[in-house]
Amino acid sequence: MTEKAQLDILEEWLKLHKGLIFKVVRAYTVADHDDLFQEIIIQVWHSIPTFRQEASVTTWLYRIALNTAIKWTRKEKKYTGAETLDNVEHLLQENRIPMDDRLTWLYGEIYKLDEIDRSVTLLLLEGFSYKEMSAMLGISESNVGVKINRIKKLLIAKSKKYDHHGI
Amino acid sequence: MEFDEMKKIWDAQNNQPLYVIDEKALHKRIQAKMNGVRHMASLSELFSIVVNLGSGGLLLVLSRLKLWGNVFLNPAVFLYPAVWNFVTAVYMVVSRIRRIKASRRFDRSIHGDLNHAISLAGYQVRLTRIMYWNVLPSGAIFLFMGWKGWTLIYTSAVILGSFVLAYYLGIKADRYNKLRKRELQVLKEKLESDD
Repeated sequence: MTEKAQLDILEEWLKLHKGLIFKVVRAYTVADHDDLFQEIIIQVWHSIPTFRQEASVTTWLYRIALNTAIKWTRKEKKYTGAETLDNVEHLLQENRIPMDDRLTWLYGEIYKLDEIDRSVTLLLLEGFSYKEMSAMLGISESNVGVKINRIKKLLIAKSKKYDHHGI
Repeated sequence: MEFDEMKKIWDAQNNQPLYVIDEKALHKRIQAKMNGVRHMASLSELFSIVVNLGSGGLLLVLSRLKLWGNVFLNPAVFLYPAVWNFVTAVYMVVSRIRRIKASRRFDRSIHGDLNHAISLAGYQVRLTRIMYWNVLPSGAIFLFMGWKGWTLIYTSAVILGSFVLAYYLGIKADRYNKLRKRELQVLKEKLESDD
């Protein structure tokens, strides 16, 4: 595949599915949004020649974005404190259109989960099947089911507190 | 709140992007990357010019001294790598002038600076390749010279080791430069996809 063709594909994927990457970035980072975003795009770029259209582009992108984000989170834990918020100029700015408070709360709760549960929650909210999640995350379908059950219960319980306090 | 409601809230965000790109920060970042690549290209050129002129000059002096008469069949064998080094130095000077002239083609907008940075990164990749491929002919001539005189077997080994190291470092630098060029291209795609 030529570099030009690879760039064309990347451009098309970004135009159509940028929002998907934003969601993963938002769920996995608090501060380094742009660095993770750039890292995911670089990994997507590397993956283009191996994309065989056996999976949909969305599934493929989710798989890469989540794997990159999980690795990123582990690396970030190792090197926490290397950069402070003050000396990092952020490329991505949160959109000024006011976001639904409940969505902000939901992202906050997703961020509190461990790396794999975060992925499961994102994929669940995006409407992927157990089978697809299992293939993307490399865990058994029954394990996915157990995790989903637990995550749903947890989020519903927390949402009751949220509703009660009306934050 | 039930999970279905959470799903509805989640789906509603698809209608508006979560982030926008901060143009000012983007421009600053691109300029920093461009300056970094330009600095590296300039240093590589100067390094190559100085090294090639220095080694060419040294070889020229050695070819005149005829100190190695018994070891080498023909002292003129010094002359070939010397000429090669001088030609490489001249080529580097011409490349440098052309690069500086070409830099005036780009405007100071985000796209202009980004295209300039990509062009410089591409230039840096070519430059590194020329530098490490250039090691081969010089290395081969030197090695041949060392081989001719069996007494210089250890010298040959040192020369061979040095060239292998230079070649290895060249490959590493090439990979790094390609990665940097790719990062810039990805940044450009990201920017264009937002337009």
